[in-house]
Amino acid sequence: MIKKKCVAMLLAGGQGSRLGVLTGKIAKPAVPYGGKYRIIDFPLSNCTNSGIDTVGILTQYKPLELNDYVGSGKPWDLDRLNGGVHILPPYQGQKGGDWYKGTANAIYQNLEFIERYNPEYVLILSGDHIYKMDYSKMIEQHEQTGAACTISVLEVSLEEASRFGIMNTNEDGSIYEFEEKPKVPKSQLASMGIYVFTWEKLKKYLTEDDANPDSDNDFGKNVIPLMLNNGELMMVYRFNDYWKDVGTVDSLWEANLDLLNPRIDLNLSDKDWRIYSRTVALPPQYIADTAEVEHSLVTDGCEVAGKLDYSILFENVTVEQDATVEYSLVMPGAVIKKGAKVKYAIIAEDVVVEENATVGCDPTEIARDDFGITVIGSGIKVGRGAKVGAKEMITEDVKEEA
Amino acid sequence: MISSSVAGIVFANAHDETIAKLTQKRSIASVPFGGRYRLIDFCLSNLVNAGVSNIGIITKEKYRSLMDHLGSGMHWDLDRKSGGIRILPPFNVSRVRLYQNHVEALYGAMDFMTRCKEKYIVVYDARTVANIDIKAVVKQHINTNADITVVCRKGLKITNGDNTMALDVNKEGRIVLTGFPQKIAADDVRSMGVYVFNREKLIEIVKESYRTGGDTINDDIISANLDNLKIMAYEHKNYAEIMDCPKAYRRANFELLDANVRKDLFNNERPIYTKTRDDMPTRYGVDSCVKNSLIAEGCVIEGTVKNSVLFRGVKVEKGAVVENCILMQGVTVGENAVLDNVISDKNASVGAGMVAKGTEEKEFFIEKNQKI
Repeated sequence: MIKKKCVAMLLAGGQGSRLGVLTGKIAKPAVPYGGKYRIIDFPLSNCTNSGIDTVGILTQYKPLELNDYVGSGKPWDLDRLNGGVHILPPYQGQKGGDWYKGTANAIYQNLEFIERYNPEYVLILSGDHIYKMDYSKMIEQHEQTGAACTISVLEVSLEEASRFGIMNTNEDGSIYEFEEKPKVPKSQLASMGIYVFTWEKLKKYLTEDDANPDSDNDFGKNVIPLMLNNGELMMVYRFNDYWKDVGTVDSLWEANLDLLNPRIDLNLSDKDWRIYSRTVALPPQYIADTAEVEHSLVTDGCEVAGKLDYSILFENVTVEQDATVEYSLVMPGAVIKKGAKVKYAIIAEDVVVEENATVGCDPTEIARDDFGITVIGSGIKVGRGAKVGAKEMITEDVKEEA
Repeated sequence: MISSSVAGIVFANAHDETIAKLTQKRSIASVPFGGRYRLIDFCLSNLVNAGVSNIGIITKEKYRSLMDHLGSGMHWDLDRKSGGIRILPPFNVSRVRLYQNHVEALYGAMDFMTRCKEKYIVVYDARTVANIDIKAVVKQHINTNADITVVCRKGLKITNGDNTMALDVNKEGRIVLTGFPQKIAADDVRSMGVYVFNREKLIEIVKESYRTGGDTINDDIISANLDNLKIMAYEHKNYAEIMDCPKAYRRANFELLDANVRKDLFNNERPIYTKTRDDMPTRYGVDSCVKNSLIAEGCVIEGTVKNSVLFRGVKVEKGAVVENCILMQGVTVGENAVLDNVISDKNASVGAGMVAKGTEEKEFFIEKNQKI
């Protein structure tokens, strides 16, 4: 094997249970985003754009669609003679085998994979964030400071800080304490779940962590504190651009509509930092005479004859005449039939919203506490004239209403 | 399996002159079409969808843009260890000049034809826009024990009768007479420029025709052999257009605004592949107004667009009005500019407030990279 400077390991095995029906059949990194992407396109494109050509993807939960999607890695230019993309599921060895018990354990079980490339650094990524980041700059800083581990951080507001893992640092950016979701945060530097480790150190601490039967084998909970206690040099790497965790329905909805917000700087048409994705062969979109399309993103294969405002249509979506879609995401293959109304909703793949049905409602129409994004699970049929209210999460067909 | 017994030969440059404005710097095969395609995409996709994976592409000149488009062939799943795409650049058979006609071109591809092992060869003119079930054509070819099968269509709209052959077909489906009537009759059966040959027969005919100074496939390979070879017609029943003049090119682009045409050309069983560009989805601005238009990925539309075809990455700025236009990849229309009946080649830009109007009869043409 030819030696690599840096190998990336992408944690893609989580269920993403807070996304409810959206991850009923697929792993979180395979959830569609932004009209033509999947969440995993972001870390993969960032890798390839940062010059990292060896990526291990750790899968566990519902891997079929994700495996299919990643394939040979060609769309991200990660089909390489040396390196490239590798799907790494849990496996059996001579002494049996185990599911991945935690984030650290998933990497521990694949030390052999990393060893083959004998890298200097290992980049740990997760598959649930939307952001564009040049990892090579972070690795450069890691190299210069000689740290054992560098953790990428984002400055968040004090109110938000108690939702994150917070890094308390000295003036030079070295970390003296890590606090998971502190009630009274001492700093506003939130971990983004992106780590660069010096390979020898990572190997040492993962092995030590594995030998501890009381450990949850988690990076944030166990490995990082263990390294801090041992007096290793741990540095923060400050990141200032757009970054969003899409772990919940609300944040997924928001992160999508951020693409339509002129005040938010997330440019996906940047020729110097493309976000690649696996695309299907579809004709261009057709916007009919009866259509009114404003302030929206529309993808190949869509046919729009109805009204569209502040929404994102993924590929192959049909919006029939007199139907309206507002403040919503409509995922691949869904059909919104005549007279149907969709507001503040996420419509998953291949859903059919029948004629005159209503999905979701406007936050101004109901009490603040009752409001929430409505989600229709993939393949569901919402019957003619049926009404689905705010916050509902639909997992079974909705009957027609007279 | 019949598929692995079929190879393909594509003419990339034949009839370049028929849409001269768009072929000044490219072959007809790489002329942009329908928002995100090049003409050759239809041909390659049809072949690939029938399982054909060994395809020779005969080029002559101006083929840089075609090579750019094709790359390794991966977008058509044609990056193969065995077969895949083979570009057949001009092979100077006559020692004094480039090939001048179909027969010389095919003779130049003799190595390809003799080296491939497939029993049948589909010869395809890249200027035909259709979703043809090549599998069905080959099946008929085999079942009827034909030497040559010509894909044809009844009532094909043609504008330039000169090089679109009309066929008289008998009850058994055999072609008994050919001609080139300028007048177009609704029930005319015309050749679509797509043929299936028994490979060995093709080699034999091409050698013989080359020796006797043969010129076109239609005259010297089909018409000349009606009596001594079994030449059958295969009727393609759904949408087809042949880019035989600028008018046909314009018409065919606008025909894509018709839902039935899109249904005929694009279906899940036989998709049309093309080079992907990793663009963003198209973004419609706050005051955009779009009616009856076909719009590719990566466009940003803040003005008005009606009855038009927009290729990838076109920008229509605030207040601009685009009507009855075909705007190719990367065209920018500045604020408050007005375009009507314009065909613009790639990456042109129209300045703010500019007005360019053509008519249905004679469109206003903007050249590649031109600024107005």
